[in-house]
Amino acid sequence: MVSLAQQQPIQQSFNPYTENGGTILAVSGADFSVIAGDTRQSEGYNIQTRYAPKVFKLTDKAVLAVNGFAADGNMFVKKVKQRLEWYRHAHAKDMPIRSIARLIQTMLYARRFFPYYVYNILGGIEEDGTGAVYSFDPVGSYEREACRAAGAAQSLVQPFLDNQIYFKNQTPAPGTSFPQHLPLQTVLALVIDSFTGATERHIEVGDGLEMYVVLSRGSTALQSLQSIRGVQEITATNDGERVFVIRKELKKD
Amino acid sequence: MFLTRSEYDRGVNTFSPEGRLFQVEYAIEAIKLGSTTVGIKTPEGVVLGVEKRVQSPLLESNSIEKIMEIDAHLGCAMSGLTADARTMIDHARVTAQNHAFTYDERIKVESVTQAVCDLALRFGESVHDEEAMMSRPFGVALLIAGIDELGPQLFHTDPSGTFIRYEAKAIGSGSEAAQGELQDKWHKQMTLKEAQILALRVLKQVMEEKLDQHNVQLAQVTPSKGFEILDEVGLKAIIEEM
Repeated sequence: MVSLAQQQPIQQSFNPYTENGGTILAVSGADFSVIAGDTRQSEGYNIQTRYAPKVFKLTDKAVLAVNGFAADGNMFVKKVKQRLEWYRHAHAKDMPIRSIARLIQTMLYARRFFPYYVYNILGGIEEDGTGAVYSFDPVGSYEREACRAAGAAQSLVQPFLDNQIYFKNQTPAPGTSFPQHLPLQTVLALVIDSFTGATERHIEVGDGLEMYVVLSRGSTALQSLQSIRGVQEITATNDGERVFVIRKELKKD
Repeated sequence: MFLTRSEYDRGVNTFSPEGRLFQVEYAIEAIKLGSTTVGIKTPEGVVLGVEKRVQSPLLESNSIEKIMEIDAHLGCAMSGLTADARTMIDHARVTAQNHAFTYDERIKVESVTQAVCDLALRFGESVHDEEAMMSRPFGVALLIAGIDELGPQLFHTDPSGTFIRYEAKAIGSGSEAAQGELQDKWHKQMTLKEAQILALRVLKQVMEEKLDQHNVQLAQVTPSKGFEILDEVGLKAIIEEM
């Protein structure tokens, strides 16, 4: 017979979230945006799949990358896409990227006390034709930036981007200055280097790389893009903005 | 009139055998009793003008409010049962604010008009699970003026929940004569000033009293200043230019 006094209290816990690894990043140029993510989905030391997309085309001028808890991420993208369709029916136009950014904030904050466990990065073309990147925290704080990395290898990639895109900790040669915007070729090279580097040093990053490129109306970056092997156009409308995807292999170990 | 009344006059949601909704038709008639209201679209913006009926010398004419702001880029003029317009404009304002909150952009003129019309045909139905019902159609017509990415626009809404875009439109008691005058005088390349003067001239023609800065009101929506109601000083200057 066990006395009641000796019984230990049992802590019941509810763990609705998992961390599924992977990394996303986005960089904006003068008239283009690049949004990229690896395709590995893992749980602890196990790889669940080598191909789980984290980057999604929303419209011809907006691409959304989601990272964190994959189930929440997929559901969130589904809900955003639904809201975009409703908006299109109500207002007879595609939602501008600035409005998508605000919508994502309200959708995330609506779940303030049971959040979607995801970090969002939204990239695309603003109404004025400039490249834009918006980054979010899981409850909806957001900011427009020139570049942002998120996910498992954020701590590896973001300092690299700060150095190579914002030219942090660099001093220009006398009589010169650093450019405000980088050309598409340079940005794509930096994105590829970011992911090969993150794949080397982080176990949750690897398998495949998907890079979405959004070009504004009459963007000069078109020529340099068309020379890339394996580039695929996925533009849906004739509004002028064009969307491309480039897929590459990453190490699978 | 009374001879034609039938049992179909009573239910707001009952079609007559000829396929008519009498209460809606009577509501449209109610607008023709209202004071004359005009709206004129130009490439520079939209002008709204209303006649205020000053029935008594003791009445303070500036307390008659027939032009109201919906949002910084949207204005509205009314004719008919103006009390009903309160409910509609309140709904329009909430819709416009909600849109700005959720999408960080100004709502389109057509979208806010659509929202008002959605409300207009919800008579005989409770709103938002509330017990109270909207017992009858609204007895007011609106001219909704605004500017969005498609440029200056003017919409007319009626109690049936129908809305139509116009270059220039007159509603209310003097609307037939006023609309005829607008058709003669309106042209595509009108300036805002010309539109202001045309609005006043049209009102002057259909008004019984002598037009002055106390018994008319002008408002405009322009790309630079958005919606504004002209004050009596500005109004007087335009009246003198007529």
